[in-house]
Amino acid sequence: MKTWLRNHLLAGCILALSLAVGGMAYAETAAAPAQPAAAPAPPATAELREAAAKAPTPADLAKGDPGGTLTGNVADITVTDAKAGPTMADAGNQIGQNKIAINFVWTLVCGFLVMFMQAGFAMVESGLTRVKNANHTYMMNFFVYGCGLLAYWVLGFAIQMGGAAGNANLGGLYPLASEHSITLFGKTWGIFGETGYFLAGHAYDVGVMVIFLFQMVFMDTALTIVTGACAERWKFITFSVTSIIMGALTYPLFANWAWGGGWLSQLGANLGLSHGYADFAGSGVVHSVGGLSALAVCLIIGPRLGKFNRDGSPNPIIGHDISAVLIGCFILAFGWFGFNPGSTLGASSNGNLRIGSIAVATMLAGCTGTFGAILYMWISKGKPDASMSGNGLLAGLVAITAPSGFVSAPNAAIIGLIAGVLVCVSVYFVENVLKVDDPVGAISVHCTNGLWGVLAVGLFADGTSNYGGSWNGVPGSVTGLFYGDAGQLAAQLVGISTLLGVVFTLSFAINMVLEYVIGHRVSAETELNGLDIPEMGQLGYPEFVFRPEISYSKAA
Amino acid sequence: MAASKSQGSYFGLFVVGGTVLCAGIAYIATGTGKLLLLVGAAILVASAVGFLKIKPLEGETPVLPSPESMKWLGAGVCLLGWLATLGGLHLVNSNGGRIVVALLGIGVSLFGMLYVLPVAFNKTAFWKKPAATSARAGFSSVAGRATLDSELTAAPTAMGGMK
Repeated sequence: MKTWLRNHLLAGCILALSLAVGGMAYAETAAAPAQPAAAPAPPATAELREAAAKAPTPADLAKGDPGGTLTGNVADITVTDAKAGPTMADAGNQIGQNKIAINFVWTLVCGFLVMFMQAGFAMVESGLTRVKNANHTYMMNFFVYGCGLLAYWVLGFAIQMGGAAGNANLGGLYPLASEHSITLFGKTWGIFGETGYFLAGHAYDVGVMVIFLFQMVFMDTALTIVTGACAERWKFITFSVTSIIMGALTYPLFANWAWGGGWLSQLGANLGLSHGYADFAGSGVVHSVGGLSALAVCLIIGPRLGKFNRDGSPNPIIGHDISAVLIGCFILAFGWFGFNPGSTLGASSNGNLRIGSIAVATMLAGCTGTFGAILYMWISKGKPDASMSGNGLLAGLVAITAPSGFVSAPNAAIIGLIAGVLVCVSVYFVENVLKVDDPVGAISVHCTNGLWGVLAVGLFADGTSNYGGSWNGVPGSVTGLFYGDAGQLAAQLVGISTLLGVVFTLSFAINMVLEYVIGHRVSAETELNGLDIPEMGQLGYPEFVFRPEISYSKAA
Repeated sequence: MAASKSQGSYFGLFVVGGTVLCAGIAYIATGTGKLLLLVGAAILVASAVGFLKIKPLEGETPVLPSPESMKWLGAGVCLLGWLATLGGLHLVNSNGGRIVVALLGIGVSLFGMLYVLPVAFNKTAFWKKPAATSARAGFSSVAGRATLDSELTAAPTAMGGMK
């Protein structure tokens, strides 16, 4: 009791002394405007000014700085009053701006890498299709960028990110502060964003521009998945219209629910499902959305002529350029270093130094995915199939996309290995059981493994990440079932159910309407002749001499 | 028909209509916004009418009509799975229970997606049909080469001129 009293008396004295000193300081501050020159500078500010006085002069710098020890010093701090010199407030502002600048540059550069993935997709998809459709396939991959960008600018971004304010990495994104919500069972659930149309008004903001660029290239990745699955028989006009609708509506809606403050991200805060749906870089948001849309269109459009025999057995239709496929896969793997590590949306503070771990997890999962597919094909079919090896790499990368921010290197390797095997099994299932023709394996790579990646978060997240101390507004780290949190697995399963039940259905309904209005499929004549001339007006390889295919010649 | 000037025109109309519609949504609180919304919608309808008008010019595709109701039923089953998951979240409080309910919902959705829909679309798949039953059914396959039965069997089909 005596100790308690003594401690509290001591604390009281300290508090009283502090208040008295504070009061005096306040009095000094209040008096300061009357005689600013008389107020002594705080020690730290004095130290700053002393350092500024000693800083290298322009004359010193004019001699060159080969060692890099003179360039960048206290004299480079932006000051509010040049005569007074740098103050602590100036230094603080500079530090804050540097943090945001680092995060801006990081996010933008990663966005540029993701944008370059379009080239990889174009090469993979075109390489896996026949030479008579090369121009058409390349053009779909080219134009999907424009269609998606336009749609996302006018509407999609507002739906996805219109209520996503509060990101400390990018300066708060405060202009994006309007989420349309509904109240259900006594809880408020975000449905779609409402600000940022055309990036006009308050959305004309430096931070908003950065997040727009980054999210836009993600959206475009989802769109380009569909072009591969429906290659060699898709009308260019219908592809263009469906890409615009997907970029404006289908993708942004789910992305809002997961990333823009929508209801899936609120499952933790509202229903106690751990941290809510967690999808670090988009196995679900990007790849499953793209893959499920691809499945929906593939069902509607039907298989290519010649893909299935009358007994339902599939025929292999070999692509024209395996070198393009494998180089394209490498470009995609390179771009993935923007996709996953970039999804921290910053490199400075808030636990963002985890970018190295995320990059390594990405790299490892791609590697083990390749091993999984190569070994599966080699053991089961006798050859290490090149196109499936490429798909194995991509499957590993797709699967690690959601968990990359939450898992250790060994777990990343396991996730990738499973993905590599899964993609081979899924390709077999899609072709032989569903009788769906997917020329590039996009459904298996992106849909199947995207869903696997979402599930993997709920299993393998190890609870060591710390992105500002919370995720989706719930304090603590995302932790999966194997590390003791079953709630996270439940949240991930709700996300998967939403992808299957809402995203697929919405995409299917939209494309059924387009089937009624425009029609998805080219005529049989166009398909047999190749889509390059009828749809594009130009052959992809005009100097190639087409010869009758061997099997046809034999049959004839 | 393949790509044509009219396709390009109606696509242009679609893009303009969509952009105007979105401008209307963006400024829906104002009178101008409401007007833009109406104008945009009208342009979109006009483009849809145009697309419908030129659709028959595409020529015969190999896809045969299949049961429409079954397709929409499949989509409905997918949606039902999601609704079951959502309902279960509010009926069950434990994590284990919610996992089971979500798995059930996923199972229902997968049934719609991987069973009902493929059955609906493959019921009358063109690759199942023998050459003589219809012009469209003339399409079949030779390994690695898409072709027509008529090319191999000389059976008369509507696509005979394609060679």
